[in-house]
Amino acid sequence: MMILERRLGGRRATQRILTDWVFILPQLILFFSLTILPFAIGLPTMFTDRLSFVDTDVEYVGLDNFTKVFTEPGIKDEFFPALQRTVRFTLLNYAMVFVFGLTLALLMYEVGFKGGFFTVIYLPMMLSGLAIGFIATMLFSRSTGTLNLLLLDLGLIDKSIDIKSASGISFILPLLTGWRFAGFNMAIFLAGLLSIPTETIEASIVDGASYFQRLIRIYFPQMIPSFIIATIFCLIGSFNIFDELVALGALYGNQDASFLSIVFFTYGFQRGRLAVGLTMALELGIPLLIMGVLLQRIQRRFEYDA
Amino acid sequence: MQEKNKVNKSYQFFDYLRKKRISNALIIAFFVVYTLITLFPIYALFIRSFVGTKLSTELWLTPPPLEEASMEYQWGNLSVFYNIDSNKVKADLGIPADAYIQARWTLERIATEYNIPEQRIKDYFTPYSVYSGWIILFSDNQFLPALFRTILITGLSLFGLNLLSTLTGFGLAGLKRRDQVFVFNLYLLSAVIPLMMILLPQYMIVQGLLKLIPGYEVSDSSIRNISQIVAIILLHIKGGALGTMIYTGYISTIPRELEEASEIDGASRFQYFFYVVLPLLKVPMATLSVMVLPSLWNDFMGPYIYLDTNNTTILPLIQSYTGTYTTNFQVTYTGIFISIIPLIIVYILFRNWFIQGAMSGAVKG
Repeated sequence: MMILERRLGGRRATQRILTDWVFILPQLILFFSLTILPFAIGLPTMFTDRLSFVDTDVEYVGLDNFTKVFTEPGIKDEFFPALQRTVRFTLLNYAMVFVFGLTLALLMYEVGFKGGFFTVIYLPMMLSGLAIGFIATMLFSRSTGTLNLLLLDLGLIDKSIDIKSASGISFILPLLTGWRFAGFNMAIFLAGLLSIPTETIEASIVDGASYFQRLIRIYFPQMIPSFIIATIFCLIGSFNIFDELVALGALYGNQDASFLSIVFFTYGFQRGRLAVGLTMALELGIPLLIMGVLLQRIQRRFEYDA
Repeated sequence: MQEKNKVNKSYQFFDYLRKKRISNALIIAFFVVYTLITLFPIYALFIRSFVGTKLSTELWLTPPPLEEASMEYQWGNLSVFYNIDSNKVKADLGIPADAYIQARWTLERIATEYNIPEQRIKDYFTPYSVYSGWIILFSDNQFLPALFRTILITGLSLFGLNLLSTLTGFGLAGLKRRDQVFVFNLYLLSAVIPLMMILLPQYMIVQGLLKLIPGYEVSDSSIRNISQIVAIILLHIKGGALGTMIYTGYISTIPRELEEASEIDGASRFQYFFYVVLPLLKVPMATLSVMVLPSLWNDFMGPYIYLDTNNTTILPLIQSYTGTYTTNFQVTYTGIFISIIPLIIVYILFRNWFIQGAMSGAVKG
């Protein structure tokens, strides 16, 4: 009798697993073929001389592509400046996460949640990357930029800022990206702040701790998961930045807007150097991926501890 | 001693409250200023949609006034300043389509040449001084279809993503078995995979699959157009960290008693899903929808790569208005402004959902 029950139980458990997989499979098939499989295809292509998507004469070339990225003049001269631009953008963009997101969150925490302000601060999240690029042009174009003309009229600047110049792109783009994600990052930090037990904060106030002391000793240590989430989003987002650069004319030969994403894209889609483009993308993507996975792990550990 | 300490402490607290009143007023003032600064670029974009190339070197904070067209205007200058489509003008004014108009001809000369009353020409060209961006966009026969395609793709993607993510969430709910945890982690991984890394191979796979469809190679056939749009939708609904986390988490909180009760009543797992679980999922559906909506509506790269230029959505179309040498910026700014308006209206209508989504997503990461 007991054996029969156990066998029935076993069959039911198997049935349960099968029905679960009926539910899981539709999306998993798509996810597998459009996210996981591209990896599996991308990795071996790095070791070949595949030139384009329709290349029929593909040969195995070993580690040639890796060395090419660092040594071949034509490629090296594009890769390193693009890398430099991307890294500079990432650093400045990361700073903007705190300049906008953290500052706004700390201020809003002091005065209490204000839905009206939140709605407006979050509004730029509705803009597309393309819109950000064109808004940058509209505001900071050398002779027609609205903000340029306004600041000149007010006498705040005496030479207009040029979005189409190297320094223009490297400073204005992080600024506008910070503005765009201000609400998003503010939400991340505000959620962290709101999860802090109010007793500890009240106790520190009664004990006469200054705001700065509270910040360092109470707020920041308990907001570490928020910091990690914001870091992951910022890193991946900065590496993927593409639409903004297209709007700034990166695909039409604006060298200053040629970030890594643009170089991968043109190598793969326009110039027929598919394998080299893939190699570049993976050389940078894999370290980033590992970093992302590690950060995700740390963040989840913090969440379980709390 | 202790008494004194207590007094001291309560003094500190009152002092803190007094200071806080002042600092709060300052913070509110800061937020007011920041709010205005945040709205400025969007307002400036709206104004710039009325500023033609000719006026764009001056600062405009309100739309410029209409300028009556002068009969002295030269045809060539008009098309530069107002980005005028000569075929449309010819059709509108009744000039034969094959007529050749020299760039140096004035409007006066055109009027006499083709026997058109001067007033009609003036009335025709005057609105162009301010509204040329809007006129050109809405007379471009690509624009409204592109807008329609954007709405179609966004709507179907939203529906498909919610449907598939619900199924995934139901299959993974509880994360009790090893296979469930594995699948869940696989989806989490997608949050940290840089898109650039998989973009090129993804393109190879999608193109490979599309070529298998009979009739795909025929350019501008409806099979080709539809299958390209389906490809974009599939890329949107392939699933990721957000949907999986929201649904798995939410479905796990549904009380076990409901499942047991339905089991006792003889319902299968599928019946339990459709009649018990699905009606309970309004909150996660709203949360996921508002969180992915901006990225779906604003997707540029997918349509740019996969859709033909005559079958594209609104953002690639706007991007195509600016090339290397054109100065078609008024049209571009107008197009960008129009492209953000639908989403901003949805945002303002459902702002509470958006804010809730932002805050809950922030906790989950």
